Amino acid sequence: MSERRRLLLFLFGAVGLAAIYCTGIRNLPPFGDYRGPYGDVIAQLAVYQRHATDTVNAITYDYRGFDTLGEEFILFSAVTGVALLLRPDKEERKRRNQQQSNPASFQDRAALSETVQVLTTALFGFSILFGFYIGTHGQLTPGGGFQGGVIIAGAPMLLYVAENFEAFRRILSHPLIELFEALGAAAYALVGFVALAVGAPFLTNVLPLGKTGDVFSSGTIALISACVGVEVAAGFMLVTFEYLREILAREKNEED
Amino acid sequence: MLSPALLIAVPLTTAAFLGGFRRWLPRSVTDVLALLAALFNLILACLWTHHALHVTQVYWFGNWFPRGTMVLGIGFVMDVTGCGLAVLTAFLATLALLFSFRYTDSGGDHYHPLMLVFLAAMSGFALTADLFNLFVFFELMSTAAFALCGLKTQEPSPLAGAFNFAVTNTVAAFIMLTGIAMLYATTGALNLAQIGLLLHGRHDRLVIAAFAFLVTGFLVKAAAVPFHFWLPDAHAVAPTSVCVLFSGIMVELGLFGAMRLYATIFQGCFAGTRLHWLFVVSGAITAVWGAVMCFAEHHLKRLLAFSTISHTGLMTLAFGLWSRQSLTGLLVYLTGHSLVKAALFFCAGILLHRFRSVSEPYLFGKAKSLAWTGLLWMAGGLGLAAAPGFLLDIGESHVTAQAPWTEAVFLFAGVLTGGAVLRVGLRVFLGLGDAVPTDESAKVREEPETPEQSPIINWFLWLPPLLCIAASLALTFWQPFANGAWSSAIRFMDFRSYAHAVYQQFTPAVILAAPKTPASDLIFAVVRSLLAVGVAFWAVYRLRIPRALRWPSHIEGPMHPFREIQSGHPGDYVAWLTVGMTLLGAAAFWLGLGG
Amino acid sequence: MLDHYPYYVAAWIFLCGLYGIVRSRHLVHTVICLCILQSSTYVLLLAIGFRKGGYAPIFADISPGVVTVDPVVQALMLTDVVVEVTVVALLLAMVVKAYEKGRTTSPDDLRFMRG
Repeated sequence: MSERRRLLLFLFGAVGLAAIYCTGIRNLPPFGDYRGPYGDVIAQLAVYQRHATDTVNAITYDYRGFDTLGEEFILFSAVTGVALLLRPDKEERKRRNQQQSNPASFQDRAALSETVQVLTTALFGFSILFGFYIGTHGQLTPGGGFQGGVIIAGAPMLLYVAENFEAFRRILSHPLIELFEALGAAAYALVGFVALAVGAPFLTNVLPLGKTGDVFSSGTIALISACVGVEVAAGFMLVTFEYLREILAREKNEED
Repeated sequence: MLSPALLIAVPLTTAAFLGGFRRWLPRSVTDVLALLAALFNLILACLWTHHALHVTQVYWFGNWFPRGTMVLGIGFVMDVTGCGLAVLTAFLATLALLFSFRYTDSGGDHYHPLMLVFLAAMSGFALTADLFNLFVFFELMSTAAFALCGLKTQEPSPLAGAFNFAVTNTVAAFIMLTGIAMLYATTGALNLAQIGLLLHGRHDRLVIAAFAFLVTGFLVKAAAVPFHFWLPDAHAVAPTSVCVLFSGIMVELGLFGAMRLYATIFQGCFAGTRLHWLFVVSGAITAVWGAVMCFAEHHLKRLLAFSTISHTGLMTLAFGLWSRQSLTGLLVYLTGHSLVKAALFFCAGILLHRFRSVSEPYLFGKAKSLAWTGLLWMAGGLGLAAAPGFLLDIGESHVTAQAPWTEAVFLFAGVLTGGAVLRVGLRVFLGLGDAVPTDESAKVREEPETPEQSPIINWFLWLPPLLCIAASLALTFWQPFANGAWSSAIRFMDFRSYAHAVYQQFTPAVILAAPKTPASDLIFAVVRSLLAVGVAFWAVYRLRIPRALRWPSHIEGPMHPFREIQSGHPGDYVAWLTVGMTLLGAAAFWLGLGG
Repeated sequence: MLDHYPYYVAAWIFLCGLYGIVRSRHLVHTVICLCILQSSTYVLLLAIGFRKGGYAPIFADISPGVVTVDPVVQALMLTDVVVEVTVVALLLAMVVKAYEKGRTTSPDDLRFMRG
């Protein structure tokens, strides 16, 4: 279809869609006037029932923990999918070996200042530590497994920015990362199985709840959060590696 | 009785295990473990279906029972419809995993984890009673599907199909999420029963807008016209066992999502209106369009994809009639169609394995040696035409008993789609007639899925289609199946018992005998089959008819603009999506406000 | 109108995202427009859960009886973000592969890649 016809078709559709959307909006409760019972009920119950001060994470990992299991496996399938799509095949490996260097070679770019290199590499350790802090305090303050995992996965990027490609490649291509990604996903399901083993429904919070405000509190919430953190960190590292694999190979060829 | 959570947890855990240890596990171990997980699902789902025939039980995850009227957690309502769909999903997944044993390219062993995640997601989708959980399983199903669609990436063509599939379905998911947000804002709840109780009787503009959003999202997955464009592209490029699951259960689950929402939430809101006629019209248009495009196709998998669109349109029509008998017909038709379509895709997979092609002109006369595959293919073609004995005719009888005028639509769709499949069978397996004119769609070079060409058709290649056709024949004559479908349709339409189950944990179910369909329907079924065979022979020998009597004189010319619409450009597909949503929304407002 | 302005913002972002996908001439642009489309659901969800004068639902430094905003939509949004990231990752991988195999990033060429 020509671009003009497509645009006309879309405009017709968009006007209708906008009309439907706005009709719906006009009859919603006004902004700032949240009435619904679900959030209020849980906000009142979460601290007493689960000793967790972060209500959002109590919902994510306990009240609606089954949703998060599905969400975690969405991440797992996407990482598997990216690895599946970007897997190198025989022709590609042959082509890479014969490939001419890119004329705009990496040697021609401006050299990175040493200050930047040193500081960025030093931040690597801090990032990992910060990621662990956020990941383990999810049940107390905003944070949790997803957020902490992403911060940890971002730490190797700092090495990439600092152009320490050798260390970057060595960390990201380690076979254990894939194993940990899968184990993190499986561990979430296994925590659910633990509940089944004691006769409670799947994903019931059966661990001791501890004292409100402690790091080791709220039972399975902290545990599940940690498992998710492992899976997310490993998953994002795998995805980064898959995307940058070709660039890293080119870097390696140029260094040799 | 084992927990229903295992229906989700076991495949997911196995998938994680297979994914983590994939470098160290040999292919045979991976195959067997995946197959065992799918078999476990099948057995457990069968046990739960048997249990659900006596009592509808609700399972609360995390032990979060409702507190007063407020539902706190996520629950699974184990009713017969949901459990039956879980059985069908597990059965097709087991056969698909069996078909891909040993030789099929597994994409570096990423295939098995993705298939198991797909299985778990579809099982969860059929059983859940929570609106957002429905969305999460919808997305899980979609993500695994996108990834599986991109398995054969050695040629550029698979990527086009996978990309269009992903973009269209993701837009649909966000549309659905907008609808969920609107419902949540109004009711403050996410459980289907609770929302249904809170919205009972309200058919104001907000509910209709939310209805439009939600139903659009699900109908995109169900490939209703004009949301259907992604389906042929996706089927043309996905591996055979993945196509089986797409056509066999994923598309039908899209329709089931819309049905579930209607049965729990919108039925009570729009009780006095004629809103369900929206589905009747949409279904009829889809059935006709799909059938015509199916007949014009020469790429086997795209042909079967268009026939899926057509038959799902017929199911949407049956759903729109919204009565006990039409829903019984829908459930029976769904089962029959899934089994027959799966068998046809498996046969196409055997052709791909043996001859490295699924193009009708290329395969002309080549498969004369594959007698049994040909027999199964022809049986599938007759099944699609709703010949007696394949469950589809029983389903159709129930629907037409409800509304006799639908017989015309069923006839048109069945004869064209069945005729197309039979035409391919006559050309490929019997070598009859003239070579077909080549067209753009037939020129696709489909990438083979197995590494080398082999004259032997292994047992794990021909057993799945045989089991599918055999199951479809067996269920036709097994009366408890029709009775079970009747009971589940009654229970599905009954919102009060659903809400009672959610708040009181269980509801006893009723097993009644299904009404008998008139014997004259058997005559209709035979007439349909003969018409389909006649159409197939006409198509094959068309050029030998004298020009004066030949009608239509040209087919390829007039079909060209219709083929052009199926353009492969994601922008086109999304433009059609917005147009479709506008039309659907306009119809919903007109019908829902008492038009 | 002013009562519902964040919802109208969400609707506008939604339409902008759709417009971008329809008019896109580069596959990466299509994927980013999909992200924009999803942002509209974030705005919508969070706006629905907002309560004037409500505190954040983190009881580390406030007592449990205090009026808070809705924590459920925030949990839903978290799921939404993960869904978006994963779909975008998959789609971009497809685009990378399409460029590698077909040497093109234009949606118009997708049809010719179909054969």
